[in-house]
Amino acid sequence: MLDRNSIGFIAMVLMLGAAVSGAWVADVRAWDDTLYPDLKGQWRVVGGPMRFDPNKPWGPGQEAPLTAEYQAIFEANLKAQAVGGQGTTPTYTCLSPGMPRVTNGYGQIEFVVTPETTHVLVQHIHDNRRIFTDGRTWPADLEPSFLGYSIGKWVDNDRDGRYHQLEVETRHFKGPRAFDSSGIPLHNDNQTIVKERIFIDKSDRDLLHNEVTVTDNALTRPWTVSKRYRREPDRQPFWREVNCAENNNHVEIGKENYMLSADGLLMPTRKDQPAPDLRYFVQSKK
Amino acid sequence: MLHPSTIGVITRSLAFASMAVGIMPAVALAVALAATTAQGFDETKYPDWSGQWRRPPGVSIQWDPTKPLGRGQQAPLTAEYQALFEASLADQAKGGQGEDARFTCIPPGMPRIMTIVWPAEFVILPKITYVNFENHMPRRIYTDGRSFPTNEEPSLMGYSIGQWLDTDGDGRYDTLEVETRNLKGPRTFETTGLPMHKDNKTIVKERITLDKGDPDILLDEITTIDNALTRPWTVIKKYRRYRDFIWVENNCAEGNAHVGIGKENYMLSADGLLMPARKNQAPPDLRYFQQR
Repeated sequence: MLDRNSIGFIAMVLMLGAAVSGAWVADVRAWDDTLYPDLKGQWRVVGGPMRFDPNKPWGPGQEAPLTAEYQAIFEANLKAQAVGGQGTTPTYTCLSPGMPRVTNGYGQIEFVVTPETTHVLVQHIHDNRRIFTDGRTWPADLEPSFLGYSIGKWVDNDRDGRYHQLEVETRHFKGPRAFDSSGIPLHNDNQTIVKERIFIDKSDRDLLHNEVTVTDNALTRPWTVSKRYRREPDRQPFWREVNCAENNNHVEIGKENYMLSADGLLMPTRKDQPAPDLRYFVQSKK
Repeated sequence: MLHPSTIGVITRSLAFASMAVGIMPAVALAVALAATTAQGFDETKYPDWSGQWRRPPGVSIQWDPTKPLGRGQQAPLTAEYQALFEASLADQAKGGQGEDARFTCIPPGMPRIMTIVWPAEFVILPKITYVNFENHMPRRIYTDGRSFPTNEEPSLMGYSIGQWLDTDGDGRYDTLEVETRNLKGPRTFETTGLPMHKDNKTIVKERITLDKGDPDILLDEITTIDNALTRPWTVIKKYRRYRDFIWVENNCAEGNAHVGIGKENYMLSADGLLMPARKNQAPPDLRYFQQR
């Protein structure tokens, strides 16, 4: 990272200061945020947030490179959704969609860049990511999560003295997760690895690119898609509070999902769905 | 070409030299380099609130941490809201949730979120301070001099405007004063259902500062003005800093055994069946299902 001339120059300056003062200044927390790209503001996905690849149609049109086993799971999921079920997409209960689905941009997005961490705040449930850029390595013993554990590195690709690109790798997942609302599945072994390259468009500073590559055992090869996010022109944007659990009409009882009607009563989500078992209620024994 | 991190180190190194000894060559060089890096964020002007903050050991999830939950809080409620509170306690005693809507996993909102049931993090930038929570969307406290919006959708977290203060005149900020408005409900002070007024005209004022005797204790003096109260209610929350920590993903909906159907709350049994939350609770109305 540091070339010899730079190191020599720094050493000279430090020696100069220390020699004259005889002491170090204690607080060295200042950092230069101008070295990083300006990601401030509110970002919204370009294209539909319901699709993993925003450049292709929803569902089968995504042409996900699924293995035969997971293609069969995906198709069974589509049939379940067609008759009112949720298939392999678990988020109707307000679970976090996790990675990589969180990159689909279903909520307003904010990037908060600090030297040690870039926070990606997503206005939806609790889908905020921490991308650690402090040089740490993968923890040896970590509880897996829907969003995984992200380590990033800032890159100055054109060597102009400023960072332009954030490279991120995310591991340590748990499930269930799907690529998008159509239920394109990720492997149940949760060995997913997600790599991202996040950078501002060279000719449009209000356009952010995220090249996302997913390596997963449900796929026959790594799947790369390019996502784009547009910066809202209002520099004091309105952040909508999106509480999934608020007014969520989905009700899960056991392995069945039901809906709440407008009058607050339980109702089926598919034709001939049996009513929930009420054996634990006194009245149901009559 | 210098690497960005190299420039940062050089800038800081020059700053050391000039701050420590006031030598002109270092100042001149710093100025020259500053011209290439524009203005940086001098976080040394702000207090160090980095790390993970949790409730101190022994402090539970009550609103006023110095008093017991429930009636022990001695909340200055109006007669109307005291009655509502008593009804909430009575319902909870029978297995209901009373005024507390959190069982559905909606956020606690302000000011209850500042009980910090789960760990929190402060991220300070010049124009904004974020309070990130493990299990909720963040609070944004704007410190850019803006005023409250006149026509913005209310929220459970509200809209927070802050101001940094240098109370001891040492040239560094030490206290963040915050005012939060534009709230919606339902919100309560704590799990007992200690209510806030349904008109949602709550105003929350905070003074957040490090304990002068212990830099790993953060104090949040919170004053709530609400029409359910006979007077402003001030409590002081303490948070303890942990410097060696991990962040845990906390999904309220995951494994939540509460089920809300209409105005009733039920529970899920270990075998995944619906069961009553209180004695003699009627089962849900199943009129929309085909009778078999």
